[in-house]
Amino acid sequence: MNKKILFLFIISAAVLVCAPFIGAHTLSADVVIGNGGASKILWELRIPRVALGWISGATLALCGLIFQALFRNPLASPDMLGVSMGAAFGAVVYIRMGIAVALFGVIQGISAAAFIGAAAAIAALWSACSIRRGGLSTSSLLLAGVALNFLFGSLNMIIQYGGGYIDTFRMMRWTMGGLQTVGFAYAAASLPALVIIFIIAYAAGPQLDLFVCGEEIAASRGVSAARLRRLLFFSVSLAVGMNVAFCGPIGFVGLMCPHICRYFTDGGHRELAVSSALFGGTFLVVCDVAARTVWMPTELPVGIITSCLGSLFFLWLLVRGER
Amino acid sequence: MSCAVEVRNLSYTVDGRQILRDISFSAEKGTFLAVIGPNGAGKSTLLKCAGGLVRYSSGHVLIDGCDMVKMRERERARKIAWMHQSGTDLLTFTVRHFAAMSRYPWQHVLSGGADDNCREVNDALVLAGAADFAERRINTLSGGERQRALLAAALAQGTDILFLDEPASFLDYKQQVEMVSLVENINKSGKTIVMVTHDINHALHSAREILAVKNGSVAWHGYADDLLKSSALSDIYETEFKFFEKSEGCRQYAVPLGFVK
Repeated sequence: MNKKILFLFIISAAVLVCAPFIGAHTLSADVVIGNGGASKILWELRIPRVALGWISGATLALCGLIFQALFRNPLASPDMLGVSMGAAFGAVVYIRMGIAVALFGVIQGISAAAFIGAAAAIAALWSACSIRRGGLSTSSLLLAGVALNFLFGSLNMIIQYGGGYIDTFRMMRWTMGGLQTVGFAYAAASLPALVIIFIIAYAAGPQLDLFVCGEEIAASRGVSAARLRRLLFFSVSLAVGMNVAFCGPIGFVGLMCPHICRYFTDGGHRELAVSSALFGGTFLVVCDVAARTVWMPTELPVGIITSCLGSLFFLWLLVRGER
Repeated sequence: MSCAVEVRNLSYTVDGRQILRDISFSAEKGTFLAVIGPNGAGKSTLLKCAGGLVRYSSGHVLIDGCDMVKMRERERARKIAWMHQSGTDLLTFTVRHFAAMSRYPWQHVLSGGADDNCREVNDALVLAGAADFAERRINTLSGGERQRALLAAALAQGTDILFLDEPASFLDYKQQVEMVSLVENINKSGKTIVMVTHDINHALHSAREILAVKNGSVAWHGYADDLLKSSALSDIYETEFKFFEKSEGCRQYAVPLGFVK
């Protein structure tokens, strides 16, 4: 096994073990077994939260990695195609209307509404691109996604503008993203999305390597560009939709983690898939620990921490790289 | 001899504009076919249609007797390799890894990916004259080296047919001469070559057959030696040429009259 990946794996495991004990109440190791209030906090709040954080961080990083290769654009991120905005629209409508929705039993309330919004955005994007003859070219997909982002953004603002103070605050708070969860339901529900997106990213690794060289080169080497694009578009969009539904839009993880991994690894997309998943998961868990602790007892939305830490780290890497 | 590439009544229309109309030609196994013609004549589009990168509107393309439409992408990529014009100047892969990535059509979808040191890759790097800078990153190469890296990658694909899109353009004279002789050697090693070029003299020097395209149709097709026997060249390019006849150790070549006057 690659040394760098082994290192990432060890760090990731260490973070996963330590993170649940850190928070507004620092827990000691002996609460792992027991029935007290501290044990309840650990098993019903902290560990599910860390699990959800790791899973969604890894998913976002993988989605970002795939989109950056697919669009041959280092600034591509999983939320650029309007999926996150669509999800936010679902959530905002839910908060305003107060309708009850449930999907597949486990996904309820605002998450279900957000997932429906994300699915609507994916469907809108797909049909917009399918109407044009010649189908889904990368650039038309990108443009349609950007347009959709603005459309949902303006719809969100209309609803927020018309809402009361409390509703508007809830909407704003939701769009900052957070990992609050009780029990393992959300973590368990988002795990399949991570597994599927990892398998896809790993299996498509050599094809993504060729895609980065340009679509013509990829096609001449026997990559079925249209089929690959379709598969990746749908799987990434659904995984992101699922992710946003549970955690709200968490920025920067998907954009940045693959880049940071590119600095550390030299290999192709297979290796990047493994390292991005490990790094993304670990990164989001660490950010969430920071979100719980930097301004105690107030908890910050984790989206603020990821953007702040992430952009600083990224700048540092760029400056260091220029030397 | 059987045909490596056979194009029958091929037409290509996009957004109501007909780019190629009713083109038929064939390239025998082991031949060297140069496709020439003025800008916008449809040379590159023809190459893309015949090479399976663009889906043509009507007609047939047979590769080794198999209908292109019925072939899967990977199957096609085991028969035809491409050397594209450019677009790779920002890649940070090493030349060796870039060549190894061309082994994709021969690998199982879930296998371990590119093996940088396999025999095919080493042979291709040597044959394309890219072995000396095989470990350098593509974005650090000069124009000539990059063209050789692209040629090495196409060779590593291990196909019998090679499609080249302007292999010697944007190169200085020394590099052009070297590239021309590299391509000729590859043809001599038994590969069928279909090459688009702007350079008449490159076509006359290297190719056995020449196909001239003008306004989306075939304007002339025949042996390279016969091209200058008629007024075809002047008609194709709508400009007069001065021909320099064959002399001892020197092949025939043509220069636009405007350059010589």
